[in-house]
Amino acid sequence: MDTTQLLKGVLDVAVLAVVEDEDGYGYDVLRRLRAGGLAEVGDASVYGTLRRLYAAGALTSYVVPSDEGPHRKYYGITPAGRTQLSTQTKDWETFAATVTALLSETRKVTQLEGARS
Amino acid sequence: MTTPSTGATVLRPDVVEFLTRVREHLADLSVDERDELLDGLDADLSEQLAEGGALPDPASYAAELRSAAGLPPGRTVKPRKARARTLGAHLVAAPDTLRERWLGLTRRNDLTRRTWTMLEAVRPAWWVLRAWIAVSLVDQLAGEWESLTVLPTLGVPLLGPALLLVAIVLSVLIGQGRIWPGSGPDRTLLTRLVLAGLNLVAILAPLTFHFPDNQPYVVYRENGYRAGYLDAAQRPGLRHGSDVVRNVYAYDAQGQPLQGVQLFDQKGRPIAVAPQSSMGEGADRQVTCPWFNGTTPLFNVFPLRQRAQRYGTCLGKVDPSKVGPQGFHEPPLASVPPATLPDAVPPG
Repeated sequence: MDTTQLLKGVLDVAVLAVVEDEDGYGYDVLRRLRAGGLAEVGDASVYGTLRRLYAAGALTSYVVPSDEGPHRKYYGITPAGRTQLSTQTKDWETFAATVTALLSETRKVTQLEGARS
Repeated sequence: MTTPSTGATVLRPDVVEFLTRVREHLADLSVDERDELLDGLDADLSEQLAEGGALPDPASYAAELRSAAGLPPGRTVKPRKARARTLGAHLVAAPDTLRERWLGLTRRNDLTRRTWTMLEAVRPAWWVLRAWIAVSLVDQLAGEWESLTVLPTLGVPLLGPALLLVAIVLSVLIGQGRIWPGSGPDRTLLTRLVLAGLNLVAILAPLTFHFPDNQPYVVYRENGYRAGYLDAAQRPGLRHGSDVVRNVYAYDAQGQPLQGVQLFDQKGRPIAVAPQSSMGEGADRQVTCPWFNGTTPLFNVFPLRQRAQRYGTCLGKVDPSKVGPQGFHEPPLASVPPATLPDAVPPG
């Protein structure tokens, strides 16, 4: 199954969850998502998502200067972001439960049909 | 919120180059949107590459970035890609490449970043300054010789300040990108070159200005016998210590004031005050007016007459109603003690 399409729908909530744990810069967030199991996630998708969530007010951003290298842009969650995270977490749980239930029923039916023949 | 780590990442040149390409594929976005999208990516990608991996195709990367950021897909991606191989496209991209390299340099460390942020903040001051330079250039080129003034005069009352105001408005509108040739990326190569050329003129033009007092200048016709001629390398005018001498009062041996004293140095060169010499400010400003040999003004004959005049010199074209009458001022001392030579025989 192509998980990229699935990922698109949940990337917002996944990014918010990661940033809620601890503020992070782009690559840091990407690394944590991949470490959390989303190995397929594209870097540009994560960087773009961070910028969209920032533009929507779910994230705040600040620059941490570095003496030797380029500055790092950090993102932190805002109260609006927390609200969005909790709403989307509930949505996801409901949705996942529904799909899981649906899949197990279908499987039962299929198994029954298989047993009859 | 926890304290973020600040381990330094070294900015990689291949990342800068890659981001320039990505930026080209985002050319249809506004400058703000693009900056917002790309800011900080140099550090992220540099670190990402340092841990392994390769840079992807800039076009698809830009597409993924903008789709994830919720921005509309690019309209100009395909034609730009097709043109990218031609020399013309390289030229068109050259200002962007330079700009990106420059921005990369400014982000090298905290000091350069702060300095650049500060310089960007004072850009409007440059817009005003270049407007003033442009009008002052016209002021200096038009009409009689005159020294640089804060408010350009242009010979007609209020014309200078009015023109300056118009120039400032135009310059600010150009700076904000509202009128041709505009500012920043997203413009044709020609308009960018035009703006760069105009800015260069604005930077170089002040080198030709006649700054008040101690700048080199050359005066009037080719007559060896006249005051005020000064070689371009010389400092014009007379000085007493560090003070500028603007008029000279001579007294005879009996201590009585003299009028019409012509002064020359040991080589026969006229000792003259600078023609643009003036005293006081605003309504109290006084200029010195020369004696003449025919039509040649002489600034080495003393005392010089003076008159009230707000701007310019006594020799410039001025509205007669705007200047006071010419006249000799009272000498600073009515008379001075008589002077004698020790070996001279007393008269009588």
